[in-house]
Amino acid sequence: MAASCITCDVAIVGSGFAGSLIANELSQSGLKVVILEAGRGVQPNINDDMNRFYNAGAKVPESASPPDMLGDPLKLAAGRPTTLMLGPDWNKPEKSYLVQKGPRPFTSTYERAAGGTGHWLGTSLRLVPSDFTMKSSFGKGASHFPFPDWPKDINSKTLSAWYGKAEAELGVSADVGEQSFLGIEFPSDYSYPMPRIPGSLLDRHIGDALAQLTPEKTKFLGMDKPVTSIKVRSLPAARNSEPYRNRRACAGNTNCIPICPIQAKYDPTITLNEATNHGAQLVDHAVASEIIIENDRVRQINFIRYDKETSPHTEPGCIKAKVFVIAANAIETPRLLLMSKNKGRTAKGVANSSGLVGRHLMDHPYYLAWALMPPGKPVFPYRGPLITSGIGDLCDGPFRARRAAFRMDIGNEGWNFVVAGEKFGSDPHVTTIDFINGTNASGLNVAEHNQLGKNNAALLGVDLAKKLSDLMTRQFRIGFLVEQEPDPSNRVTLSELRDVLGLQRPAIHYNISDYTRQGIVAAYRMQKLIFEKMGATDFTQLPVAPPSGPTQFEEKIDGKPVTLSYGGAGHIMGTYRMGEDPKTSVVNSFQRSHDHDNLYLVGSGTFPTGGTANPTLTLSALALRTADKIACSLRS
Amino acid sequence: MNTSPNHERHATAPGAIDDEQRGEFSRRKVLGGAMAATALVAAGPINSSAYGASADPDSDPYMMAFLVLSQALTGIRIINLAPEFAPDKNNPGVLNADPGTDPINVKNDYFKWINTSDPAIFEKLLQIAREHSTSASDIINGVNASDDTRFLARSITLLWYLGSWYRPADLKSAPPTGKLLDSTVVSAKAYTQGRVWQIAQAHPMGYSNMQFGYWSRDPKDPKTPDPLNFISATIP
Repeated sequence: MAASCITCDVAIVGSGFAGSLIANELSQSGLKVVILEAGRGVQPNINDDMNRFYNAGAKVPESASPPDMLGDPLKLAAGRPTTLMLGPDWNKPEKSYLVQKGPRPFTSTYERAAGGTGHWLGTSLRLVPSDFTMKSSFGKGASHFPFPDWPKDINSKTLSAWYGKAEAELGVSADVGEQSFLGIEFPSDYSYPMPRIPGSLLDRHIGDALAQLTPEKTKFLGMDKPVTSIKVRSLPAARNSEPYRNRRACAGNTNCIPICPIQAKYDPTITLNEATNHGAQLVDHAVASEIIIENDRVRQINFIRYDKETSPHTEPGCIKAKVFVIAANAIETPRLLLMSKNKGRTAKGVANSSGLVGRHLMDHPYYLAWALMPPGKPVFPYRGPLITSGIGDLCDGPFRARRAAFRMDIGNEGWNFVVAGEKFGSDPHVTTIDFINGTNASGLNVAEHNQLGKNNAALLGVDLAKKLSDLMTRQFRIGFLVEQEPDPSNRVTLSELRDVLGLQRPAIHYNISDYTRQGIVAAYRMQKLIFEKMGATDFTQLPVAPPSGPTQFEEKIDGKPVTLSYGGAGHIMGTYRMGEDPKTSVVNSFQRSHDHDNLYLVGSGTFPTGGTANPTLTLSALALRTADKIACSLRS
Repeated sequence: MNTSPNHERHATAPGAIDDEQRGEFSRRKVLGGAMAATALVAAGPINSSAYGASADPDSDPYMMAFLVLSQALTGIRIINLAPEFAPDKNNPGVLNADPGTDPINVKNDYFKWINTSDPAIFEKLLQIAREHSTSASDIINGVNASDDTRFLARSITLLWYLGSWYRPADLKSAPPTGKLLDSTVVSAKAYTQGRVWQIAQAHPMGYSNMQFGYWSRDPKDPKTPDPLNFISATIP
C-alpha cells in the first residue's frame, strides 16, 4: 500500500464548496493538488439527473441523484442522510444512515458527490457584524451565555474582501445599497457581480403587510429600532441575473432545489472543473478512512476506493502531501477525525486534544407556516426562483441576549414544500387529488374555503379546473431560519454500527434548547401578525397530532398552549469550531488545526456560532482565505 | 431550505401493474434508442396489439372518443390536450375528426396506459363519451353513475393533470381525510406535460419556457390572451 501512495503538494478530502474553491486557488498558483471525493465524479452533463428528477415520485432534495439504495441504506459505500430517511423511522439505524440518538431528530441532509451538496438554494448572505461577536455584544456579564466570539481577526471588516472574492467566484446577484443594513459595510467602489434578482409578486404583498406593522404589536420582538424600518429585501443569490462566466440568466424554473435545469445557479462542479483544467486531479469513489499522524504532523491519508455504491468491490489507497485539507462537511469531517485513532496514538481522534471535535453541532431550525390569500387576491406561486426575498432586518438586536434571532424567507413555490405538513406528499398533487377524489388532506376542501357549499367536494371538468386555478394561485408559505446555540451535547460521535466499507457510521445527538425555542415562539408570533395583515388564512399543520412528535414542543403563548415544530435547513455547522485558545477550539482563524500544523479543516464546521445567514458564502470566503494562507506557507 | 420531518411521501413501492407498465415504457425507450433523456422527444410508435386489448390508440375514432372524454373530465379543450387536433369543417361530428400526431403525443401514451390497466372499464368510459360527445356535463353525469367508471375517470383526470398514475382502487378506498397514495410518474415527459401547472398559471417545477424576470409580473397581461382560455366545457 505504501509503495503506491499518491503524492502531491496539497491533498484535499471532499470536493464541495470549500474543497473545490481551495483546489482551484492552489492549482492556479502552480501547486499539485489531488482531491479525494467519496461519491461520484463530475457528470458529463445534467441530463441523467434531470431525468431522474422528472421521474421521481417524491421530488425531494436528493431526487436528482439519490443513493442507489436498492432498499437498504446501510449497504452504501458513501452513505448519506436523505429526506426520505427522516420519516417515522428517523431513529432506526436500519432505515437511516445517520445513527440518530435523539432526543430530537436532526433533520438536515447532505450529498456525497463531486460538487458536494449541489442541491442548495443559492442564497449568499454575508453575516451581520454582531454574528461574529455574540459574547461581547450580548453576553457580557451573563452567568451562562453559550455563544463565543469568533477569533478577533475574523469579523465583518476583515472578511469583507474575502466575501467579495467569494461573491465573484460563486457569481452573486444583489444590490449593495439594499444589502447595507445592520452594520454590513461594503468598500465604496464595490458592486456585486450582477444586479439583484427581481422580487416576486408575493414579495410585494409581504412588503405591504410589513408596512402596516405598529410598534405596539411588535413589542415582543425586542428590537431597539422602530419596526417601521423593517422591510423586505431581495436575497443575494448565486443565481445569474444576467449571463455570467458562460452560464445563462435564471429563467425561473422554480427548481433551485434539487437542480437548476440550466445551471443558472452556481454549484461547485463549476469551480471544480476550473481546478481540474488547471491540473488538479479528482479521485472519485474514494472514501478517506484514516488520517495518519507522525511527529504531530499528518504523514498521509488512507482511503478506500470502490466501484459501485452497493456491494462494492474495494481496494485500499493512500495519499501523501505537504498540506492536508479536510473539506468533508460538518458531519463527515468530524467522523473522519474521530475514526483516525492511529492504533491508539490518537485515541480521541486526530486534531482533538480539546475534546471538542464533533461537539456544538448546529443547524438553523426551520419554522414553516403556510396560508391562503383571500378570494380575488392571487399571488401566483409556483413561479420564479424558489425564494427571491426575505426579511433579514429581524436577525439582530438586543433580544439576542435572551432568545434566538431569526431570518424570514418568502417561498415562491406555493404549498409545494409544506402542504399538510407533507404527510400526504407535496402540492400541486395533494390539493389536486383532494378536489378530484373528494378528500381533504390540504385543508382546503371544506365549505368555508372551497366556496362550494359543502365539505369534501369531488369535481370534474371546468368546475375542477377553475376551482384549482382559484385556490392554487392564492397559496403561499413563509419560513423562519432560527439561530441555534452551540451546545456541546449536540454532537457527532462514532456509532458502533459500520457501513459496507467497514467504517463506523456517524451517530448524532441533538436537541433544541430553550433559547432556540423562544426564537421559534417569536417567529410564530411574527407569522401570525403577517398573515393577519395580509388577510390570509393560516393552514399550517403539525407533522403529527399534538403534542407528541419528535420535532414538536409546547409553549404557552399569551396564556394558551401552542404546539410548534421545526425542520432542518441543511445548514450543518460548528463541529470543529475555530478559536484562539486550543483548549476551547479545534482550529485557528485560518482553519488550521491547533494540534497538527499541516492539517486544515474547512467548511461550516469551523463556525463558532451560526447566526441566521445561510452558511455557504461565509464558508466560501473562509476557504479562499485559507487557500491564500496555504499558498503563502508553501511558497516560503 | 432543505427538509422538514415526516417525509414519508411516496416512500412505498408502486404496485405491480404499474411496475410492469413502467418496465414496458423503459424497455421501449432502450429499444427505440432515440428517446432523449430530456422530456422533449415523443415516444416512438408501438404496435398496440402487444397490449392485448381491443381499444386502439392508432385508430382515429378511438382516439377522438378518448379526447372527448378527456376534455369533459379535465375541463381542458381538446386542442390543448392534442395540439395537432383538426376539426373537420365539412363533418361536424367531433368523433370523426383527426386527432393529429403532435410531437409530444402524451395522449397516445395515456391511452395505452389506461387501456393496459383496465381495458373493460376504459371501453365503458369511451362509450359514454361517444354517446354524449357534445355535452361535457352529460359525460360527467354518465361516468359518475357507477363506481367503476367514476374512479377510473378520476385516475384519468389525475393522469392529465399530474402526469402520474393513481390506481382507481386506491382512490376508492381513500378516507375523507386523505391518505398518502401510491403513484407512478408515467414518464419524464408526462411530468412536464402535467396540465395542473397551466391551471395554476405557472409551469412544471424544473421545466419552464419562460424568460428571466417573468415572476415579477402578473400572468394576466392585458396585451396577451387570457392565460386560462384553454379551460372550456364546449366540446371540442
